[in-house]
Amino acid sequence: MGAAVEVENLSKTYVTYKRSGLFRREPTTVTAVDDVSLTIAPGEICGVLGPNGAGKSTTIKMLCGALLPTSGTVRVLGYEPFRERRRYVREIGAVFGQKSQLIWDIPPADSFLMNKAIYGVPDAPFRETLDELVSLLDVADKIEVPTRVLSLGERMKCEFIMAMLHRPKVVFLDEPTIGLDTIAKAGIRDFVRGMQERGTTFVLTTHDLEDVERLAEHVVIIGAGTKVFDGSLRDLKRSLGDTKIVELTLSRPASEADLDGLRVVGRRSDLELTIEVDMALLGPAELFAAVSRRLQITDITVRELPMERVITEIYTSSRR
Amino acid sequence: MDTVAARRYLAAYRVCLRIAARQATTYRASFLLSSLIALVGNLAFPLVTVLIYGSGAGFPGWTADEVLLIQGVFTLSAGLSGLVLGAVVQVTIDRVRQGTLEVVLLKPVRPLPFIALTGVQPESAGVALGGAVLVACAASRSVQTISVGAALSFVGLFLAGLCVMAGVVLVMAATSFRWVGNSRLPEIADSVQMFGRYPMAIFPGALQGVVTFVVPVAMVGFVPASALLGRSVAGAWPAAATCVAFLAFGVWLYDRQIRHYQGVGG
Repeated sequence: MGAAVEVENLSKTYVTYKRSGLFRREPTTVTAVDDVSLTIAPGEICGVLGPNGAGKSTTIKMLCGALLPTSGTVRVLGYEPFRERRRYVREIGAVFGQKSQLIWDIPPADSFLMNKAIYGVPDAPFRETLDELVSLLDVADKIEVPTRVLSLGERMKCEFIMAMLHRPKVVFLDEPTIGLDTIAKAGIRDFVRGMQERGTTFVLTTHDLEDVERLAEHVVIIGAGTKVFDGSLRDLKRSLGDTKIVELTLSRPASEADLDGLRVVGRRSDLELTIEVDMALLGPAELFAAVSRRLQITDITVRELPMERVITEIYTSSRR
Repeated sequence: MDTVAARRYLAAYRVCLRIAARQATTYRASFLLSSLIALVGNLAFPLVTVLIYGSGAGFPGWTADEVLLIQGVFTLSAGLSGLVLGAVVQVTIDRVRQGTLEVVLLKPVRPLPFIALTGVQPESAGVALGGAVLVACAASRSVQTISVGAALSFVGLFLAGLCVMAGVVLVMAATSFRWVGNSRLPEIADSVQMFGRYPMAIFPGALQGVVTFVVPVAMVGFVPASALLGRSVAGAWPAAATCVAFLAFGVWLYDRQIRHYQGVGG
């Protein structure tokens, strides 16, 4: 089966104006996306990460057909999104965490009816899909309440229903869990995972790395408009070697001599240290032996490197 | 547009009308107040006409009832176009400035009808009704008999006037893709249309030509009212063709300018 999303040498530039006097302004060309290529397989959840202003949202908007690329090619499900927009968007859905598709003053159920009419979904499939989505997201008692009185989490669940009523094959999620509490996030993630198991492809941009860790198998990192990483989540974590974080609780403070040769990266108190260890050089047994020889340990915890750290390292090294 | 697409647009229009009605009933007081303000605002200038003629002044060659007929036709036209396209300029400005046009571009329909459908302004129905009442009153006092030809001419030229109204709205809305956040565009659109409210004879010759054939806003009130009164306007039908071309230009420009939409920073 071919790729769901194929992007080759995609670029987007804007002309903005920089004030250079009271009445004068100079045009400035800004490159928001610079020569990005990527491929996403059908049924995959791909996380697109990067700092603010990196070009993630611009990339997603071009993939949705909302923005015209300056150069390069985009094909999603075989369509060229901007040029074949009206036929293409029937096959996709999108949820923008900060842009609502629901109508504010009326219940979500009425907004759903509007989408039914616009997409031309017949009555029976519409009712079947709506019942299924409402049950999966557990919002049966919310869809007849005006949107403005719903909580953010309830509203976001209704945004998902709005985006998926026409059963899209590819869904773009731009910060779908922004501002949500832990329970609401978990509900959304379970839903996305459930829909993926039924074959839906998701492209997810987020700042919430937990979203990526829990959902995405494929990760793309964009920094300053260019792609700086494209691979699996496992590869991403291994890209900095097999480094682990080891948290130690001691029964007596350690001297400088005790710590010689250890890479101390945090010290919450004299009795709580965090060190970084490359497990490729030192196995678990050797690690325990090495630290217990020098330090009086009462507790030890070994953790993966936090995703923030991995991404920051990759992003920073790409800019050197 | 094929029949399937046309059926889909009609179905969407019915849903949007129902949604607009529900929104209006959600905020009843606001709806009633908006309707009243729109009606008073649109009927205030015929009142000025009454005062002008009451003081002994007037527009040369035109009775008060004939001028009121022009202004009634204009108000009816404004109400009908407001009902369908009233919010297009403001909604486009807001969506471009706030970067929410993506939500529209995600729908499998043309953005312009979608924005028009979702921006239906029920309060404009009151303006249209007020205009119809004014037309009926002024016509009953100024027109002795209406021939079939005059009635058909009126209908044809009135529809051409609606095309101009829509064309002006679309040209203004289209400029907002590049001229981001210009909140004065609706006022500019209103000002341009204003020329249709008065007998053309009061304007200089060159301006008469511009508002009849270039930006044919004379068609919004003056030309169809003249047809109903049995007064012939030179070049009325070529001007009507210009109106249809003006609407087509507005649609083309709007669709064309969307590609300049840039969104906002993410």
